[in-house]
Amino acid sequence: MGPGVGWYLIVAAILFGTGALGVMLRRSPLIVLLSLEIMLNAGSLTLIAFSRQQGNLDGQVFALAAMAVAAAEVAIGLGLIVAMARKDMPLDVDQASTLRG
Amino acid sequence: MEAGGWICLLAPLTGALAITLAGGRISRRTAGWVSTLTTFVAFGGALTAFVAAWGRDAHDRQELSTAYTWLAAGDFEVGFQILVDPLSTVMMLVVSGVGGLIVWYSMGYMAGDDEERRYFAYMSLFVFSMLMLVEAGNFLLLLVGWGLVGLASYLLIGFWHKRPEAVAAAKKAFVMNAIGDATFALAAVLLIWETGTLEYLGVFEQVDGLSSTTVNLVALGLLGGAVAKSAQIPLHTWLPDAMEGPTPVSALIHAATMVTAGVYLLVRAHPIFEAAVDVQHLAAILGVITLLAAGLIALVQWDIKRVIAYSTMSQIGYMFMAAGVGAYGYAIFHLMTHAFFKALLFLAAGVVIHHLADEQDIRRMGGLKDALPRTHLAFLVGTLALVGIPPFAGFWSKDAAISSTLALGGALGWTLYVGALAGVLLTGAYSFRLYYAVFHGTPAEARPEAHGHGHGEGPTSMLAPVGILAMLSVVGGLVSIPGVWHPFTHWVGESAEAVVEPTTAQDYLTSALAVALGLVGLFLARRAFQADRQLVTSPAAWQVLEHKLYFDELYDALFYRPAVALSNALRRNVEEPIVERSLEEIGSGTIEVGGGVGRLQSGLLRSYALAIAFAVAVLVVVFVAVR
Repeated sequence: MGPGVGWYLIVAAILFGTGALGVMLRRSPLIVLLSLEIMLNAGSLTLIAFSRQQGNLDGQVFALAAMAVAAAEVAIGLGLIVAMARKDMPLDVDQASTLRG
Repeated sequence: MEAGGWICLLAPLTGALAITLAGGRISRRTAGWVSTLTTFVAFGGALTAFVAAWGRDAHDRQELSTAYTWLAAGDFEVGFQILVDPLSTVMMLVVSGVGGLIVWYSMGYMAGDDEERRYFAYMSLFVFSMLMLVEAGNFLLLLVGWGLVGLASYLLIGFWHKRPEAVAAAKKAFVMNAIGDATFALAAVLLIWETGTLEYLGVFEQVDGLSSTTVNLVALGLLGGAVAKSAQIPLHTWLPDAMEGPTPVSALIHAATMVTAGVYLLVRAHPIFEAAVDVQHLAAILGVITLLAAGLIALVQWDIKRVIAYSTMSQIGYMFMAAGVGAYGYAIFHLMTHAFFKALLFLAAGVVIHHLADEQDIRRMGGLKDALPRTHLAFLVGTLALVGIPPFAGFWSKDAAISSTLALGGALGWTLYVGALAGVLLTGAYSFRLYYAVFHGTPAEARPEAHGHGHGEGPTSMLAPVGILAMLSVVGGLVSIPGVWHPFTHWVGESAEAVVEPTTAQDYLTSALAVALGLVGLFLARRAFQADRQLVTSPAAWQVLEHKLYFDELYDALFYRPAVALSNALRRNVEEPIVERSLEEIGSGTIEVGGGVGRLQSGLLRSYALAIAFAVAVLVVVFVAVR
């Protein structure tokens, strides 16, 4: 019946850590967005792993919903990045800090 | 009988509402007619009630009519009710009759004023309030009327609201009256507390069962209200200032009706005052002090209306004296004749003022006898009635009031008697000083031109009421002749039976003395006038009297300035350092905290992510540790 749920969780934790580091360390908005996706997928992976372990479909439904949200988010995020590029704004999240207090 | 009472009460209210609601849709003249006619309808109602009462047996002339229960709280109920009895019918007749004449007169006097309609609405409101006051069947409705006449008085004194003096006078009258209203209301509360009712008859039945402290406190409270409303010392200072209002207002409110409400209250609530006889005597003493002080001050005044105003205070002093010694019939008798001749004097003065284009200073009058012959005659009749020269109205009523103190006897009675007679001398002196200064001598130079109302003394609407009042001032006193007949005092006596009744000998002695003193006053005034000097020759005395015995200055120092100083001290020591500073500190503190917190918002996305990750890590550690 394949590997135990613990392995899946370890993979998910590694994925999440990679994504979080990407968000915190990289400055390109494109990479930040990509890292966010990795974190979301880590979450989805745990949901599905537990779903398989419990033997019901609830977790998988949640994972589907998370994918839908992720798709919408990417659409908006990429749209913003394209708009920034078109305006010749620097593609650097550290410089997009107009909203500081 | 009760139907007449209700018609009398509601007709002026209808008039006031009609004028108010019609607004600009009716002409000014129509507004005047509506006000006049509704007041005369009220007079018709009063007459009906009077005739109906007249036709009944003596013990059956009291009728209480309740329209509906106005207020109910547990067992305590107050109805919207009127009491029609001999006393209230007399008051209804005086108020609506004299009121109708004066409103009619106003149509001529106020013609051409900018806000005539407002004036007539106020006048109708006043007549309604005053009728409510005299017809009320319980103390609460009496208090309602009491407050409403105060309001109408305030509105009418300040009618010319563009004149700062008029506005100040209106405020002064309102505040002084509020003191009296407050003591009156306290007395009413005490009555509810102790007797559980406010109906006159219910209260009077229980007066004997009350403790003397309660009765004295209630009587003092009522006396406070009466003193303020009737401008008696020490709450009198508003009345002379109230002369800033239009002259018909002075005639109606500040001479004939409203200021005599205190006398009506003393008579209406006589069982309470008889149970608290010291307070009743206090009323008489205050009356005599007022009549002397007002008579003295009137000697030095230059404003024609102020002289008459002080004379009003002085005459109400006589009424207080009579009511205070228990001669209720004579108090109301003097109230009625005074309403006639004082309204006459004010209206005649109004003709003079009108003729001289609003000039009120008697130093700029003089010699008006030829220009205003009919007014001169009317004014002379009013003055003779005021001084109490037979057979004019004031002679019968004032002398009866004075001789009642003799009937009381004792040291108090004699003191009051001497004071009252001295007052007659003063009355003769100041009245004829005014009369000579206005109508005799040479016309002052540079006199303002007469009003452009055509020739003659004024329109019919002004002269007719003056004529009717002059006739009433001649014959109005004949309803009670000492030693011959007393229908008037018997009539009022059915509502308030007199405690003292002077003998005929006392009446005749008093009349002889009073007429002699009045004539002495007349001749003093005449001599002074012919010698072209004033009645008060000592400059020091003149100074004191011109400052109205320093009452205004005293109140200024006692109440006004301490209150202002306290307010300023509170502003400096409480308002500014505590209230305002704390608000300012809260504001600036919030700004400071906000500025500090704002620095955390760096705008750097990655630092936010770091903070979130760090916080989550902390939370995880905490959860694990706690578990």
